[in-house]
Amino acid sequence: MKLTTLLNSARVAVLSVIFMMSFNSSATEEQTQFSDPVQKELYIDLVKELRCPKCQNQNIADSNAVVAKDMRAKTKELVESGQTKEQVIDYMVARYGQFAHYQPPLNMATAMLWLLPILFITFAVFLLIKRSRAGAIETSNVIDSSNAQTLDKELDALLAKSSQRQKNQSEGEN
Amino acid sequence: MNNRITMAALPLIVFVVLLGFLLKGLFSDPRERDSALIGKPMPEFVLPDLMSPSVQHKVETLIADGPVILNVWGTWCVTCQYELPYLTKLRNEYGVRIVGIYYDQNHAPEFGQFSDIPKIRIDVKEMVARLGNPYQYNILDLDRNLSLNLGVTGAPESFIVDSQGIIRAHHMGDVNERVWRTYLAPIWNEAK
Repeated sequence: MKLTTLLNSARVAVLSVIFMMSFNSSATEEQTQFSDPVQKELYIDLVKELRCPKCQNQNIADSNAVVAKDMRAKTKELVESGQTKEQVIDYMVARYGQFAHYQPPLNMATAMLWLLPILFITFAVFLLIKRSRAGAIETSNVIDSSNAQTLDKELDALLAKSSQRQKNQSEGEN
Repeated sequence: MNNRITMAALPLIVFVVLLGFLLKGLFSDPRERDSALIGKPMPEFVLPDLMSPSVQHKVETLIADGPVILNVWGTWCVTCQYELPYLTKLRNEYGVRIVGIYYDQNHAPEFGQFSDIPKIRIDVKEMVARLGNPYQYNILDLDRNLSLNLGVTGAPESFIVDSQGIIRAHHMGDVNERVWRTYLAPIWNEAK
């Protein structure tokens, strides 16, 4: 008896949560309808690419700011009047500046963004080639005969030293 | 040898430049941006007066008596309440002509939301009686179309329109002593 009432109240709680969630989502969604599917596609493209000027980093599709709503309504109006994507973007940029468009044009200020990484990579490749060349020259050095004798001597001395050390170590262990 | 020192110092130079760049970003205001409207003519409009809807305002009537400050505001906007006394001071002490553009957030007929205009009138009267009335008159921009054409992102925002109808200044945020002295006053004096 107790278990069933508990189950029932749990069911009610779960259902009410689901109901509230669905209510919430339908309350925030606006219904924007188009008769022409091509215009609908264009509208969806545009509201994703236009940036809400009141917000720091949101497109107008994402924002609930009044200005974003107004821009969506204006975008719909312009698209339905047959304007192209560029015309709608130009319309918004003329009022809100380049800030309102998520794809900034290539000009002196933005060229840096493209050029700096390319310059950096070129420099790095140049450095790598230079380094590997210098390394290649060093390793391909042939020991000439005048050097060979002194090198042999050094090697012998080192070998003698290490064998001596090993000997001392084994003696110490004993 | 000399070449080697420069090569060794290069990462340090890059680091310092980057540091300066990021430090500048840290102290810059992300809301500050250039207006697209400065130097352009005031967008055309025909809109009713807030208090007497039979009166129609347009660009010609706006600039008929010389340069004007357009102030976008609303009673719902908290920051606007802070600038009302200062704007009133500008009107009374310096004779600055200020015209309000009433920006209402609720009006959205495409979603079945309509503003209660009689209530707006009462709220406006109450607020300017309490905090000061800087306005010659208020233009009711109910569908916010003029605001959109002016590149308004919210309230408060202020514009200086000269007697030729050219927009000379656009300030986002409240007008206070600092903003007036450093930004608006020089342009206002020049436009006058």
